[in-house]
Amino acid sequence: MTAILLADSVTVKFGGLTALDNVHFSVEEGEFLSLIGPNGAGKTTLLNAITGVVAPVSASLKLGGNDISNLPTYKRIRMGLALTHQIVRPFTSMTVLENVAFAAGFKKVKRILSSLVTFNRMPEKKKAAQFLEIVGIDEYRDQEVFKLPLGVLKRLEVARALAVEPKILLLDEPLAGLNSQEAGKLADTIKGISKLGMTVVMIEHNLSEVLRISDRLHVLDNGRDLAEGEPKSVMKMPQVRAAYLGG
Amino acid sequence: MGLYEISLATVVGINIILAVSLNLITGYCGQISLGHAAFYGIGAYTAALLAKIGWPIYLTLGAGFFLAGIAGAVIGLTSLRVREDFLAIVTMGVAFLFVGIVRQQEFLGGEMGISGIPSPGMTKPAYLCLVLIIALLAILFSWYVKRSWMGYAFDAVADDEQTAKTLGLDIKSYKITAFAMGTAMAGLAGGLYAYYTRFIIPDAFGFIQSITILSMVAVGGIGSIFGVVLATIFLSLMPEIFRFINDYKLLLYGILLFSVMRFAPDGLAGFYKLLYKKRNLR
Amino acid sequence: MLYIELFIQGLIQGSTYAIIAVGLTLVYGLLRVLHVAHAGLFTLGAYLGVVVTNQTGSLAAGILLAAIGSGVVGMAIYRLVYEPILNRPPHVALIASIGLYIGMEELFRLVFGPFGLSFASAPLQSVVIFFDIHLRTCQIVTMITNILLLGILAWISQRTRIGIGWRATVDDPEISACFGIDPVRVRYLVFFMGSALAAVAGVLVALLSNFVEPTMGAVPSYKSLAIIVLGGLGNVTGTLIASLALGIIEAFGTIYIGNFLDRDAIAFAFLIVVLMIKPTGLFASR
Repeated sequence: MTAILLADSVTVKFGGLTALDNVHFSVEEGEFLSLIGPNGAGKTTLLNAITGVVAPVSASLKLGGNDISNLPTYKRIRMGLALTHQIVRPFTSMTVLENVAFAAGFKKVKRILSSLVTFNRMPEKKKAAQFLEIVGIDEYRDQEVFKLPLGVLKRLEVARALAVEPKILLLDEPLAGLNSQEAGKLADTIKGISKLGMTVVMIEHNLSEVLRISDRLHVLDNGRDLAEGEPKSVMKMPQVRAAYLGG
Repeated sequence: MGLYEISLATVVGINIILAVSLNLITGYCGQISLGHAAFYGIGAYTAALLAKIGWPIYLTLGAGFFLAGIAGAVIGLTSLRVREDFLAIVTMGVAFLFVGIVRQQEFLGGEMGISGIPSPGMTKPAYLCLVLIIALLAILFSWYVKRSWMGYAFDAVADDEQTAKTLGLDIKSYKITAFAMGTAMAGLAGGLYAYYTRFIIPDAFGFIQSITILSMVAVGGIGSIFGVVLATIFLSLMPEIFRFINDYKLLLYGILLFSVMRFAPDGLAGFYKLLYKKRNLR
Repeated sequence: MLYIELFIQGLIQGSTYAIIAVGLTLVYGLLRVLHVAHAGLFTLGAYLGVVVTNQTGSLAAGILLAAIGSGVVGMAIYRLVYEPILNRPPHVALIASIGLYIGMEELFRLVFGPFGLSFASAPLQSVVIFFDIHLRTCQIVTMITNILLLGILAWISQRTRIGIGWRATVDDPEISACFGIDPVRVRYLVFFMGSALAAVAGVLVALLSNFVEPTMGAVPSYKSLAIIVLGGLGNVTGTLIASLALGIIEAFGTIYIGNFLDRDAIAFAFLIVVLMIKPTGLFASR
């Protein structure tokens, strides 16, 4: 079993505050790993350190064996990462389909000069429609993103992330803000994607869904590794229960 | 068409090139530049100096184009490192620095500028045609960029740089490219201006001029070529239309800028979209 | 002695920049808007100060009415110009502000005439000499007034409920609202104070040159924008330090690089040099 993503000795500080302290985190290819922990544990910060949105004090990051620690964000994405945001960030000047089609065209915008002489958006729009179908929002394809409900926008985030053909899907609280019915459905969709072979790392607070669909859990508390392993056994660990329930 | 009308049309043509060039930077790529006139000035001074030592017009214009583009790339490299909020003020700084430095250089004519720029070697109507053809090319190029994948990338950068990064886009390169393309075009407009007026002074390329260009883009509707061209024509002709209230010209201009932003921030383009939607609803 | 005199001139000029820039940086911190029209309030203050002083013979009355007058106009500008367009992209407020400033400049020209105004009999013009340094009384008064005003500002922001409220709102408007601080009241307060301070600066500058003309706000406005970036947008202390630094650099800079660069462009040269070394500005902003 190969670790497709390896994050070692990750330390992140914001001013005087240590957000992450020597965190060690690895993901196997094809598995569904959920990153959990109480509020402020540093989960989003860990994802941001992996994608390069945040610069750690120290970290050793390897993706598929390649060291990505010093690469800018866009290069790490091109090496196989994809990220969805906790607070949805669709491109507001584009329709739902155009949002995903842009992501699907990531190869076409790699080089500046070639992007200037490339026009055809049809293949990417076709691909985008497929991704929209996978997440179940193709009926919204030609709508402006302005007034769409949160459930749709959350799925849009996932479709867009899939469109860059990643090796690993990093999802930051994809179910946040959804009612239990919507959350259950989106969780099923994500599990479906995972079953197709995609490696998934998900931050979530919705523990019932997490336990239902994850292969493995990694728990953070106060910026430090607390526990990791098979979901049921992790949730039985006293230190994990203590972290969630206080004390 | 009388000499006066030809003169006016030439100015409008040059302004169109300027406004369309800024629209590439600010409209398409979302980077607010308050210093665009500095590149207009670089093109004008380059063409003027080279023309005076005998270079033919197409070479001087070309030199102005390239020099302004390179300057744009260099300044883009440095200023795009800073936060978005800063960019407006840094570009403002570029505007002041350009004037501030040029005014002190004797070889650039100092405060008195450069006079006696040779004629472009063609009649006034022919020169007008040249300007209008270049303006048309500028418009077509903008339209071309908009339809290309580069334009698609610019849309993403203008909407949300951070998200564009997380989709694998090298936003720094795209921003600098938008900048350089826009400044190069402005440099070309500068060269055309120099041959038109035959006499240039540093103050013509300062902050006020930068604001004037920006207002053409803003009133037109940031990003819309059609709106920008229309607004440019209107704003360029406004001093003439309102000549009878010459004394209140600037006041009206200020009021116009303010009113458009306050009541119709999407500019003429937004207004047009509104009309279009209303017609469809019937 | 020349250096010390230059240094003091620099400090005086810098302190004037400081009270202009404070309002600007607070408005930015609150609304994320570059309030270019702030310069118009500076000029308004200068005109009001001169007119009132000439009418009443009292400089104190002039300063007071200038401050209050500008303060009120400042609040009106917030309500009529910025409040309705807060959700728009940033260029909208910026260009609206620029349009407003141009309009104000023109109004001053049309109302007060293009040739400028002066004091009927300019007060505080006597020269004071100490240790071989020549200073006019108005320069000393400027320095003292500025320090006093900044001190009062600091006291209000640290020690009073209102002040703590506005600092909290600049930091985090949502949380401060939870604590019962009305963000809208804070905005009016900031606009009033910032405009009043700019007005006082205007009157003091009018004293120094005994001349008020419609475009006098332009140059201080541009420099203030550079200053607030240097100081960290929204960061008051940083803005103060940057203002004083700029005043001193200008005083010395004119001598050393005056043949390469216009004096007024020094502010921007300083800014760009700093940003190239430290893209976040001299101090971190909010």
